[in-house]
Amino acid sequence: MAECIVITSGKGGVGKTTTSANLAAGLALAGNKVAVVDADIGLRNLDVILGLENRIVYDLVQVIEGECKLRQALIRDKRVDGLFLLPAAQTRDKTAVTPDDMRRLVADMKEDGFDYIIIDCPAGIENGFKNSIAGADRAIIVTTPEVSAIRDADRIIGLVEAHELPEPELILNRYRKHLVARGDMMNKDDVLEILAIPLLGIVPDHQDIITSANRGQPIVFDERSIVGQAYRRIVDRTMGIEVPFPNLDVDPGVWATMKRWMGLSAQGAY
Amino acid sequence: MRSLFQRLHDALGTSQKSSKDDAKQRLKFLLIHDQVDLTPAQLDQMKNEILEVITKYVEIEQGDDVEFKLNREEGCISLVSSVPVRKVHARAI
Repeated sequence: MAECIVITSGKGGVGKTTTSANLAAGLALAGNKVAVVDADIGLRNLDVILGLENRIVYDLVQVIEGECKLRQALIRDKRVDGLFLLPAAQTRDKTAVTPDDMRRLVADMKEDGFDYIIIDCPAGIENGFKNSIAGADRAIIVTTPEVSAIRDADRIIGLVEAHELPEPELILNRYRKHLVARGDMMNKDDVLEILAIPLLGIVPDHQDIITSANRGQPIVFDERSIVGQAYRRIVDRTMGIEVPFPNLDVDPGVWATMKRWMGLSAQGAY
Repeated sequence: MRSLFQRLHDALGTSQKSSKDDAKQRLKFLLIHDQVDLTPAQLDQMKNEILEVITKYVEIEQGDDVEFKLNREEGCISLVSSVPVRKVHARAI
């Protein structure tokens, strides 16, 4: 059955677009027919993360206004079967689209045989957010282990539930296990205790994200990258496959071991 | 003067309170205030009014022993208060 998933966060810059690109590409790699929709009208970015910026002819607003057919606007990704991008308009603003428009668009896509429709939601809680969740069956919240991002995530969870979507799931992005190990970053249990929604996955903060964005090549394509592997687990869990969470503990290392020998740390380093 | 041991200890960073505990505490406080949508002044006023009502019935220890806390668990906010009672006012029936 076709499913529309909105990727949202409230706060900007936590990784919604990267998450949308990798989830969509990963779902396609797993054999699904996937459309990923950039709902950030006026600030289009998803095309760049996917490396498809040179192939845009039509956009979301033109589809909605009937200037072109949905099929004409969808860009087929040549690297993987079944992955399509619907780009945002760059020269319009968010008032060009209404929640009803989005509901109709999602229904059309489901009719066209897409298994998954991923909506990359813009930051904020205004029109763009309302449009993005209008056609969604399910929401994934992206956050980072920071006070401001988690505060906004909490607000968004409330709004998602108010729109009568099922309980959203969480992706914890930019996780730095060494900072967590020395107590300078909230760990997954801290975040889950506060947000109290199911965890879909943890994505490490890693240079691979930057290099893959530079190249316009979603990291989920790279099986050797630990970030790519993290996204593959998220893809599986999204499809309902149970995948264990890897151990994120840090090897204590020389300093911590020495400290313990010298009796400086009563309960061990970690 | 601090001992060499203590300084070494500090240099190795084991005595510092970890910053994530600060983050978590600030976040919990923020979320409670986002949700109840009351200013600290309003909360103070509420506390004073509640205490006023209590003192109509019992004599209480005023001051630092009086505790008013907003807690948040599983998204629900609760007001937890601890007020030491000195004696119950003798009341004619």
